[in-house]
Amino acid sequence: MSARIVALVSAAACIALVLAQDAVPTWSGFHTWQYATVLVLLGVTLTAYALEARAGRDGDVGTKLVVALIGALVVGAAGLASGLLGPDSQTIVRAPGTVAPLPDAGIAAFFGNADAATIERGDARVVLRQKNGVSLELGPGERRFIGTAAFELHPALAAFIEARDERGRHLTVTQPTNAAFLSPILLFPGSVPVAGRTLPSDEFATPAVQRQIKAFFFSRSATAAARAHGLAGKEAILFAVDDSQGRMVQGGIGFAESGSAVNLGGLSLRATIGTYPALVVSAVPYPPALWLGLVTFVAGLGFAFAPSGPGLSKARPSQSKA
Amino acid sequence: MVGTIAAIAVIATVAFYFGQGAPATHAAGGGPATLAGAPAQSYPIKRLDGATDSLDRYRGRVVFVNLWASWCAPCRSEVPALERLYQEDRDKGLVVLGIDQGESAEAAAAFARELKVTYPILLDEDQRYGRAYAAVGLPTSLVVDRSGHIVRGIDGELTLAQMIDAVTPALRAQ
Repeated sequence: MSARIVALVSAAACIALVLAQDAVPTWSGFHTWQYATVLVLLGVTLTAYALEARAGRDGDVGTKLVVALIGALVVGAAGLASGLLGPDSQTIVRAPGTVAPLPDAGIAAFFGNADAATIERGDARVVLRQKNGVSLELGPGERRFIGTAAFELHPALAAFIEARDERGRHLTVTQPTNAAFLSPILLFPGSVPVAGRTLPSDEFATPAVQRQIKAFFFSRSATAAARAHGLAGKEAILFAVDDSQGRMVQGGIGFAESGSAVNLGGLSLRATIGTYPALVVSAVPYPPALWLGLVTFVAGLGFAFAPSGPGLSKARPSQSKA
Repeated sequence: MVGTIAAIAVIATVAFYFGQGAPATHAAGGGPATLAGAPAQSYPIKRLDGATDSLDRYRGRVVFVNLWASWCAPCRSEVPALERLYQEDRDKGLVVLGIDQGESAEAAAAFARELKVTYPILLDEDQRYGRAYAAVGLPTSLVVDRSGHIVRGIDGELTLAQMIDAVTPALRAQ
């Protein structure tokens, strides 16, 4: 295989590896030393060929190809920088209606408010507000690029809780251990091992009646395995109601199917199970550098391989004489 | 020559990678005080008299938003000061807006009757305002200026003097 083909294949591989960061920005492999090493080796190959070609050792085409290789090197450098310097992908989970400042990216993420129906549909949105006042709205499955960061929403388990007392009066739901104290939406940050399964868990309180409630999510397969009465194959929440001293209330444990109320220990609890988006932020190559490199690469290829026009072919002999 | 350059480049890359500190973390904001300067979120919810109301309806006036619940003892004890603030400054363009968090109309009405509340009471069953205003407890109070921006967010019970201190700059501003 000639050195020129090796250089062209290396350039293509280098560009493909960097463009992959924009295609699948959440892949953690971009931030590994192995990825960086491959880019560096490709860069060394390109540089070595470019030095040889510039000295005229691969003819006229080789000399012209140096421009394209510089473009590929710029792309590679942009990819190397975002891989090595950019932070690993981060998943930001926030309660609906709250704001997450992201100073590294220079934006604030406004997590859209949600009611039970929104949680059930799983179509809540997140607005990314930049320092210059420009806002971008992000829906489920969508991806947006701002500077050297890619933002996308991943659906995460959530349940909207409605609590009532024995007389059917609506009760305040609080989450004393959560940053969103007044959120009736559980996001299940914890997990507990139960009978060989790991169940997502969360907890909340109803201060008006001094109750603390633990909630464990049972997926369809978990309810089937647990042989939960009448719930096999359905998503459900297992509630465990404690008093203010942390003692289990009599009759305070039971399953609630999504959307149905269950009476436990003097409380009526209804959980609407669905999803609420988590914001995933990933580092991507600096767009101006990426585009500059790509344009230079394509222009360089055109410059090296495009057939010469009549005027140019006439000019060549005089140039070579000179 | 090329092999030497490649070896140096690879060693430098790996050394740089392992020399990096922990990846930057994104700070999370907390508490109503962090909302100063932000536009105040507004959601249409029911008022105690059954009509639909929202914070937006009071644009052009200074609004003292008070998030409360009837089970909250500090919320109960600051009501006389809130009522007095409302009575004394309403002619200057101040509105006190009590937003009950998550309770039924029955509980909120009993509370308002017992404590002789005359300022508007809104019923936020889904606790949207509580979430949007980053409440870390109850009561939570916010001062919203005439343009609809949060001037101050305060966690916990306030005295009348503290309330006056919080609203006076916004009332003076035109």
